[in-house]
Amino acid sequence: MTLFLKPRTIATAARILVIDDGITMRLFYRTVLEAAGFVVEEATNGLEGYEKVLARPFDLLIVDINMPKMDGLSMLRAIRRDGATMGVPAVTISTESKDSDTLKAYQAGANYYLVKPVTPETLVEVAHLMAGVPA
Amino acid sequence: MGLVKGNVPDDGLGRDPAVCPLQPKLLADLASDDPGPRRAAARALAAYPEAATALCNRLEIEPAPSVRAMILTTLIKIQNPAIAARLAALLRSDDVPLRTAVIEALQEMPDSAALHLRTLLNDPDSDVRIFAVNILGALRHADVPGWLAELIREEPHINVCAAAVDALAEIGDSEALADLDTLRARFASETFMSFAIDTATRRIRGQ
Repeated sequence: MTLFLKPRTIATAARILVIDDGITMRLFYRTVLEAAGFVVEEATNGLEGYEKVLARPFDLLIVDINMPKMDGLSMLRAIRRDGATMGVPAVTISTESKDSDTLKAYQAGANYYLVKPVTPETLVEVAHLMAGVPA
Repeated sequence: MGLVKGNVPDDGLGRDPAVCPLQPKLLADLASDDPGPRRAAARALAAYPEAATALCNRLEIEPAPSVRAMILTTLIKIQNPAIAARLAALLRSDDVPLRTAVIEALQEMPDSAALHLRTLLNDPDSDVRIFAVNILGALRHADVPGWLAELIREEPHINVCAAAVDALAEIGDSEALADLDTLRARFASETFMSFAIDTATRRIRGQ
């Protein structure tokens, strides 16, 4: 299993907030993204994620959709309504693969939509693209 | 000894439902144009189990998050298998906030929800099966690790299995290790599944 892709040093590492209620999923994203040079923080639901986004800037959000307390789409809508946070790029990653699910995510404010399970290669590639960091 | 008022449910107007039957006004308020009366009615109806159907009907169309939350709080208080069945049907809703609130509500009524889990775990929609695993994993019932292990032997969808592995990482025991190894072989080309199984195995072994 190759999780450690393109190890690199980034002068100012991009900061990514991973918001997912699955403990294994958060650990997977963190392991892959940190190995690629990103700084990763975690939130376990949309409410905690929203509070972290309000508290400090991030270069990218990776957001699950189905979460307790506040789902990912509600969190994205709240972030997009706030002038201070509306510009942060967000990738939703969900088990749901129907076109209507993708459309709802984009309508809520997602910039990109991935369907689980995501490979490390795809995760790192999309993170570089969406965080504005050259691979 | 002085008289102490116990936790006698009332209809929000101080009346004991044992001597005061369900008032039509409460049901009318539940359909009010104003969310304030709807929320108050949803709260008061906790004293009337016979209002469960009306509350479930309202939940399906209720747009106000605070009223939805109160209806679900009341349904959790009343909880019975019929309510769990109505809520389980909402797992197929396209309304994401409603669906996630329903998952949390079903987790709060384990005895009633458990009766429907086998049906949900066999639902043709893999997303519904994932929600069922999420409910199952939160039930904290002694048999849950065994049910999850049984599920990963047969379940064909990787994301349903991944949800079960995630739950086993938190509540699984050594009896699940052989099934996790078998699952790893079944999804040998999936990096995430290998990672998830490694994580669950380490946690179960206390590493």
